[in-house]
Amino acid sequence: MFALEIDSISKQFGDFYAVRNLSFNINRGTIYGLLGPNGAGKTTTIRMVMNIIIPDDGTIKVLGRKMDELMKERIGYLPEDRGLYPKMKVGELLVFLAELKGMKGNESHKRIGFWLDKLSLVDWKNKKVDELSRGMQQKIQFIATVIHQPELIILDEPFSGLDPVNTNLLKDIMLEMKREGQTIVFSTHRMEQVEMICDNICLINKGNTVLEGNLNQIKSQYGKNTVVLDYEGDASFIKGFSEIERIDDYGRHMEIKLNEQANPQDLLCKITGRIRINKFEVMEPTLNAIFIEKVGEKDAQNSVSH
Amino acid sequence: MRKILSVIKREYLQVVRTKGFIIGTILGPVFMAAIIFVPVLVSTVSVERQERIGVVDASQEIFMELDKKLDHKLKDGRRRYLIEDYKLPEDIDSLRNKLNQMVLDKELSAYIFIPEDISDGGFAEYVSQHVADFDKIRNINEALNSVIIEKRLKKEGLDPQKIADYMRRVRLKTIKVTKKGVEEDTGGTFIISYFLVLILYMSLFFYGAIILRGVLEEKTSRVVEIILSSLRPFQLMLGKILGIAAVGFTQYIIWALFGLTASQYSGSIIKSMVSSAVTLKIPTIPAYIFVYFVLFFILGYFLYGTIYAAVGSMVNSEKEAQQLLFPVSMFLIIPILLMMYVIRSPNSTFSVVLSLIPFFAPILMLLRICILLPPFIQIAGSIVFLVLAVLLMVWIAAKIYRVGILMYGKRPSFVEILKWVRYK
Repeated sequence: MFALEIDSISKQFGDFYAVRNLSFNINRGTIYGLLGPNGAGKTTTIRMVMNIIIPDDGTIKVLGRKMDELMKERIGYLPEDRGLYPKMKVGELLVFLAELKGMKGNESHKRIGFWLDKLSLVDWKNKKVDELSRGMQQKIQFIATVIHQPELIILDEPFSGLDPVNTNLLKDIMLEMKREGQTIVFSTHRMEQVEMICDNICLINKGNTVLEGNLNQIKSQYGKNTVVLDYEGDASFIKGFSEIERIDDYGRHMEIKLNEQANPQDLLCKITGRIRINKFEVMEPTLNAIFIEKVGEKDAQNSVSH
Repeated sequence: MRKILSVIKREYLQVVRTKGFIIGTILGPVFMAAIIFVPVLVSTVSVERQERIGVVDASQEIFMELDKKLDHKLKDGRRRYLIEDYKLPEDIDSLRNKLNQMVLDKELSAYIFIPEDISDGGFAEYVSQHVADFDKIRNINEALNSVIIEKRLKKEGLDPQKIADYMRRVRLKTIKVTKKGVEEDTGGTFIISYFLVLILYMSLFFYGAIILRGVLEEKTSRVVEIILSSLRPFQLMLGKILGIAAVGFTQYIIWALFGLTASQYSGSIIKSMVSSAVTLKIPTIPAYIFVYFVLFFILGYFLYGTIYAAVGSMVNSEKEAQQLLFPVSMFLIIPILLMMYVIRSPNSTFSVVLSLIPFFAPILMLLRICILLPPFIQIAGSIVFLVLAVLLMVWIAAKIYRVGILMYGKRPSFVEILKWVRYK
């Protein structure tokens, strides 16, 4: 059974199609990456899943049932535009948010205690929200999202604003939840995170599905014709080689897509001695490269500058 | 429903625990008490000292009489005004200069110049540094007046005492007749009407602003989408409006308790402060007026509360809100401006029409009910219109709120807001 079934939904604001005929299904107990550049329709899609806005067309089923207000108690949602009541005490705020998810006093106190302890925020329970750092507030928001042990968890850019230590902590928690059978929808434009965490992905652009399916299968479709190169020196001459289809150059790191006939070994011979090579790896394309190729240079630049 | 209750509870506790609420609730009655008691207190404890007043009597026949008339006493029995006669010399300008200097040096608090033709319409002059001391100026004016009038009467051979008796004013009592009978009115109707209407008016403004600020806070702090992951926008809006209503209710209960206690003791407090017993009749509010007051209060609160909530959802800052609130405020201010007109002619066609318009009805129909109970059909009509307007407004506001609360960036135009209302 699917955790989430989206069947050809559309949403129009005036003349603008935010989402157009979008469909995908998410298996239970998986981590699903919902990707796309800014303005692709991710947030609109998620808001429709959450019943915050109503689709003009199509149906949404959550945990096998048609989405309605009661289902909100079985979903946890961390929006991208998020914040907390600045003047409330952390503990009271969490009790309030748990209440809204249908939790009773005793149970919510226990769960709040557990999570504050897990994210080392116990000392902040009686502090006002505006005394907390941004990172701490992010963690409180995460607790609010999962406090009621939802079966489906939707996280929109959950790592933004977190330092590497907390990012790692959150990632571990996500994986733990997956092991316990909870389903996670993870929306971001950080491709390296998706690559490490997600089982399946859906790439949307301009309200349409561009790419959907198992991440490994998608990558293998693109074949093993990508070279990842870590180097020192001036590598700009590589751009002139005929076997190159496209290059993403980061200064010390380079992702090179070769064309069909090219042999990676020939490339290695040609660059040996001209630059210092720290790593030369032949692999499937990175998700980043696929994203840029699929969405197009112009859209991708918009999303990178975000 | 349970979720709306959670929202109501949160709103209520958040506002009731703020310093602003506690101070406002306590200071409100203190302020009201101050308005009543301070003038009484001030009039009894105002600084008492004798004042020297110079008199230049060019007519040469007023001074003695004036001295007798200006015999106002201080509380300790001394004369309040010490009158000094300055004989008119040849050189009138040098005397004036001298007196002016004495006033500036505060040797004299003022001097009075009485011209020769004072009995025939000439101007007397009051010269002082402080020309806004109305109490003193009135005393002097009255004294001069009665001296001159008596002089004129005597000249004609009439007895001033008799003339005063003949000229005594007729006394007029106002008696209000209602279906329940007749009762004497000592201005109470007017005071009650004014008081109730002003309470209603200020509450709509005040609690409306709290609703608006609450919506705006949820929007600017970006907490709103987290809340909406648990309930519908409409539930959030309704919970907020009801929560603030509960705050207002609490505040009024506290004030009513203050008021009741105060009215129990106010008579004796005032008596203990003023030696001459002041009879203070506190007007009572008839039950039907109170019922209508509560009804119009609730309907008015929902009408304006939803408007304020919708405005709060449209804007991104208090500054933007102020601009958008101007037309809303006008709807509240217009009836206040028209109040005096409606009090004077409560049954004119214009008054009737105004009091049927939902935006004005809470204030103007209530006012008409206080002044002169209108036909029941008119009251019922205004209530029906008001209820319909509230339902319509809730529907529109819910649509605007639902979209607006998730919209950041520039303030929407009127056309855009119309589009929001049409979104599915």
